[in-house]
Amino acid sequence: MSDTGSATTGAASTAPTPKLQTSGLNKWFGSLEAVRDLNVTVHRGEFVSLVGPSGCGKTTFLRMVAGLEPITSGTVLLDGRTLSGPGGDRGFVFQNDNLLPWRTVLQNALIGPEVAGSVSPDIRKRTIDLLKLVGLKGFEDYHPRQLSGGMRQRVNLARALAIDPEVLLMDEPFSALDAQTREIMQTELMRIWEEGRKTVLFVTHQIDEAVFLSDRVLVLARRPGRLQESVQIDLPRPRALGIKRTPEFIRYVDHIWKLIEEDVRASVIEEHG
Amino acid sequence: MWSFVRQNYLAGIVSVLGGLLIWEIVSRFLIANALFLASPTQIVYAIYELSLSGQMQRHIAISAVEFALGYVIASAIGIAIGFGMAANARFKQAMQPWISGLYATPTIALAPLFILWLGIGIWSKVLVVIFLVLFPVTINTEAGLRTTSDRLIEMLRSFGATPRQIFFKVSLPSALPFILAGLKLGIGRGLIGVVVAELFGARAGLGQLISQAADAFNMPELFAGVVVLAVAGIVMTAGFGWLEKKLVPWTKD
Repeated sequence: MSDTGSATTGAASTAPTPKLQTSGLNKWFGSLEAVRDLNVTVHRGEFVSLVGPSGCGKTTFLRMVAGLEPITSGTVLLDGRTLSGPGGDRGFVFQNDNLLPWRTVLQNALIGPEVAGSVSPDIRKRTIDLLKLVGLKGFEDYHPRQLSGGMRQRVNLARALAIDPEVLLMDEPFSALDAQTREIMQTELMRIWEEGRKTVLFVTHQIDEAVFLSDRVLVLARRPGRLQESVQIDLPRPRALGIKRTPEFIRYVDHIWKLIEEDVRASVIEEHG
Repeated sequence: MWSFVRQNYLAGIVSVLGGLLIWEIVSRFLIANALFLASPTQIVYAIYELSLSGQMQRHIAISAVEFALGYVIASAIGIAIGFGMAANARFKQAMQPWISGLYATPTIALAPLFILWLGIGIWSKVLVVIFLVLFPVTINTEAGLRTTSDRLIEMLRSFGATPRQIFFKVSLPSALPFILAGLKLGIGRGLIGVVVAELFGARAGLGQLISQAADAFNMPELFAGVVVLAVAGIVMTAGFGWLEKKLVPWTKD
């Protein structure tokens, strides 16, 4: 088949569809330029992390994608549609769990479907399954105050997954946890992600976390926040914690660290000087 | 059971019983003058006699109606104004000077004026109770709604929640402990309002009982009125504590 029509269709179907795309995204807070001209493409089922020193605008960027932060200029596209404002097509996992203290674990996880309309028995059943998936079987009727930090973050994740979002946006979800719990949560996240292969945009300041989890790591520079390099992580999946001690892994971490080292030093001096 | 009582209540019970014993001894042997002090046994006997004649019940009923009417009206208005102030900045600016001014003023001093306006029936007392209960309820409701965590609101917003959903799913439940605290403050203030307003002039009620007994130097009856009030205050406050445990368990422990 050599007619032009089928050739075009062929080209379109072999190119991976961008799930999420930002073009020329800018953010100014008054006279402070926080994010400059960010063009990011995330493919379907891809796990992409954003790393950078504090002040690189990574969280601001994620919040703009979520629709929680007004965009100064530029667009966010989901499956080619321009987004404006928050919506149930994106699930946001917060840095602080933001659980409602008067609700049980299950009621917290169901808040998304509840906002979207009503909670059918089907959705309820699926959410109970989700709680099982994140390791909270048997804790459905507990209240947040009865849970540890790690368990609360599991609810946070289940709550975002309960709306079955197109994209999962995660804002440093493990940063408040102690080192051991954080590593466990990283492997847990990998296990859960392997189940459904959702498209994920993950913000962290921990380079090893980004390398461990991601297909691709976007390295941002600061003041203003802008894209410095996109690093493809070609490590085999599924990954176990042991991979963190392999030379390949360490090479990736070193490479990214060199990219941001100067910026980190600058931000430290700025914050303490 | 016994160990629970011993842990939580024993010291209180012993101190009250000891206090009553000392009171009894002082009033019988040290100040054995019925014009100045009545002993606990005399007070209990006075309560018994007043109940037999049905007077006590009548006084309690009148005061209870005055308190309940004023308290319910004040709570409803107070919560409504608090909501209005939290929702609308202009309205809050307009209300703030009145509320700050009237909350700090001992409005109980206005009781004689209310009696002049509304007569010595129950409504002048109801108005006093309203004035005393309204402001703590309003202030707490507004503060509770205002201090709703921005993070929780943002969490709901991320799911595309409407302002109405945010109000009912986050603001209202998180303001509930504050509203209940305001209502609890209102109990004590309302009781004071009823009694003091009745002292200024009433046909019946516990305050009237107290002032009448004072005029007649009938100490046992005077103390009988005071004891009934104290018990009412303790019972209502304890009931409220129980209600808080049921309604807002997440604020405890």
